[in-house]
Amino acid sequence: MASLGRAALLIAFGLVAYALLAGSYAAWKKRRRLALSAQNALIAAFPATLVASAILLIALARHDFTFAYVAEHTSRNLPLPYTLSAFWGGQEGSLLLWLVILTGYAALAVWLNRRHRELMAWTVPVFGLIAVFFGFMLCFVSSPFHQQPAPADGAGMVPSLQNPYMLAHPPMLYLGYVGLAVPFAFAMGALLSGRTDERWIVATRRWTLAAWLFLGVGQLLGSHWAYVEIGWGGYYAWDPVENAAFMPWLVATAFLHSVMIQEKRGMLKVWNMVLVALAFNLSLFGTFLTRSGIINSVHSFSQSPIGAWFMGFLVLMIVFSVVLILWRSSGGGDGSLRTKTKLESLVSREATFLYNNLLLVALALTILWGVLYPVLSEAVRGQTRSVSKPYYDFFLHTFGLPLILLMGLGPLVAWRKASLRSLAKTFLIPFAVAVVTGGVLLGLGFGSSWVGLLAYTFSAFVAASIVLEFVRGRSAAGGIFKLVSRNRRRYGGYVVHAAVVLFVIGVAGSNSYQTIRENGHLRIGQSMEAAGYRFTYESIKGVKGPNYTGFRTVVSVVGNGERFDLTPGQNNDPLQGTSFVASIYHDPRTLGDVFTNASLDKAGTAIDLHIFVKPLINLIWAGGFLFVFGALVAMWPDAVEQRRLAARYAAGTAPAGI
Amino acid sequence: MGASPARLVIALSVAAALAIFVVYTALAGNGVAQLTPSTIGTAKGNVLLVGKVVGPVQHVGGALRFAVKDIGDAKPARVSVSYAGSVPSLFRTGRDISVAGVMRNGRFAATRDSLITKCPDHYAPPASPKT
Repeated sequence: MASLGRAALLIAFGLVAYALLAGSYAAWKKRRRLALSAQNALIAAFPATLVASAILLIALARHDFTFAYVAEHTSRNLPLPYTLSAFWGGQEGSLLLWLVILTGYAALAVWLNRRHRELMAWTVPVFGLIAVFFGFMLCFVSSPFHQQPAPADGAGMVPSLQNPYMLAHPPMLYLGYVGLAVPFAFAMGALLSGRTDERWIVATRRWTLAAWLFLGVGQLLGSHWAYVEIGWGGYYAWDPVENAAFMPWLVATAFLHSVMIQEKRGMLKVWNMVLVALAFNLSLFGTFLTRSGIINSVHSFSQSPIGAWFMGFLVLMIVFSVVLILWRSSGGGDGSLRTKTKLESLVSREATFLYNNLLLVALALTILWGVLYPVLSEAVRGQTRSVSKPYYDFFLHTFGLPLILLMGLGPLVAWRKASLRSLAKTFLIPFAVAVVTGGVLLGLGFGSSWVGLLAYTFSAFVAASIVLEFVRGRSAAGGIFKLVSRNRRRYGGYVVHAAVVLFVIGVAGSNSYQTIRENGHLRIGQSMEAAGYRFTYESIKGVKGPNYTGFRTVVSVVGNGERFDLTPGQNNDPLQGTSFVASIYHDPRTLGDVFTNASLDKAGTAIDLHIFVKPLINLIWAGGFLFVFGALVAMWPDAVEQRRLAARYAAGTAPAGI
Repeated sequence: MGASPARLVIALSVAAALAIFVVYTALAGNGVAQLTPSTIGTAKGNVLLVGKVVGPVQHVGGALRFAVKDIGDAKPARVSVSYAGSVPSLFRTGRDISVAGVMRNGRFAATRDSLITKCPDHYAPPASPKT
């Protein structure tokens, strides 16, 4: 079994190495038949990797502890779904997951675009290059098929990984990380072949959207896991592994916007190349970060067995993309990235998209600086220092708030040059809505946080402008369904913007307007107040579990038109120590949550009650569903668009825009 | 490429973003020293303590008392921490944590609500290399 897996991986490695070497030679010498064979080799690498993956899955399902990987990550009593999820629970398995997704994506993307021989000629070897790295790691450095004499039982899985979220969260993130390899390979292929028109963008638009959607959903699942499992109302802590997924998502967001300018106006060719290279390299970096753990120190690179290899490959890919972009942007000729069109006005769609790009990339780069800070400070000063929440919050506010505003402005400003008169007409209603909202909120006491107040005022502006767009469009198109199906991309985009507004409201509500009351010292019958709720300590009882003892209290809560009981308590495990058992109530009226924790005072006569009230936080999860819906609307195959593209590229056939 | 006002404004915007970054990092973004029990010694000022919780965790009034040692290290150094504020429910003996605060008379007085438990899946040590 294991040897079959090793053989399958070796075959896959051979195939992608052939795709890289023969493909490059064929593209260089313009050998059509050789290029075709390289392309077929790349496609064939997918089933080979699939066989290796199936063998690992079967070994996991059979508890075959002769596989060192299976023995290290599972045990006999582990339920089947978690046993299978160990596929991505360890380093070797997650490298295999990367390769199987990569070869799968590459096979599909190359096959769909097989008619574009010139573009594919160099795209195939670029896919080959990426796959060669992961194939090499799996065959020679970090194999999932190491064998050993079977132990009686495996080492098992960390309990906190035995959670339904962990079945979906890592594969979603990987589908996103790896997905960014597709636009990257097409972009680099376009640079190498000199086919630097919009074809590579058209061909990969839906790939980028899909990767971006998966990254977003993966992060939301991770946030919700943290919120539900970690239990103190946090969903994002600026942890390096969280940032690892957030950075490529931000850059991909910028890319999704800036490609529209290139498609429409032929501008920003170099910039788009830079963005796609940055997004892919950040996703490689993110994979490395999640695999090797926090980068506290330069030493962690060398400690991890794959660290040095990953660093080397990352540097290679950065150099590769930078050199290619510089080469094509400096030279003249057919493949040049120089553009003839110029930005005509600062008040135009192009300009607002440019600002949006600037802010998104600035945010991503400041986060990157924060992530790398411990390593950089150690290298420069010899002392590890780190930045924390205030640093990230500052830049989230400075770059994020204008971004919200631009989200309302951008889609409504005309291309090329907008007149002030038309602007005033377009934005009169949204502006009025924003001012009124801001004024009302100020009156209601929301001025306690100016960030929150600004976020809400801007959100009102964006929401009003989106609603207005739908209202105007509907009367013109004669129905909301007709309107959306006529331009799915545009209206899908609006739905995603609406989802972002919900995120903003949820995040600002739960951060800027949360109420925290701690160490309320209560005896039975006593009560305290927080955020309009009255908490009364009613009773306490002991609990006994298989390996712990503890207590649960009953705290009755009345207020804001609601009445409910919470039961915070503690478990005392003689081996593991004391842990809090938080009790949470989802209040449908405020769309927020009420969290409580309790600890017993020394004498045992009173409890210390900790209360967190997080208004509007459930809008974040509601926004998640809307985000997925909007992205799907924008991605949905569109026959009209295909015909339009076919007409545009009359010389060739339209790129298969999947 | 003529000097259009649009290009100038874009360039100025980039410069403004850079300036905000440079000024912020110069004034406040200097970071906090990140130390382990074996390196903390008598460090002055606000620092970040990173380590593994060793029991027992005691509740004293509204505060937690516990000791921390170096992660993945057999070094004998221990620092006792007193902490108040919200406690992640993943927190317990054996967890890797980071907490901000100051050293005061050989004890670590933690800043309110600064306790973070490190997610155990992502921070699991990489599998030991085999031959």
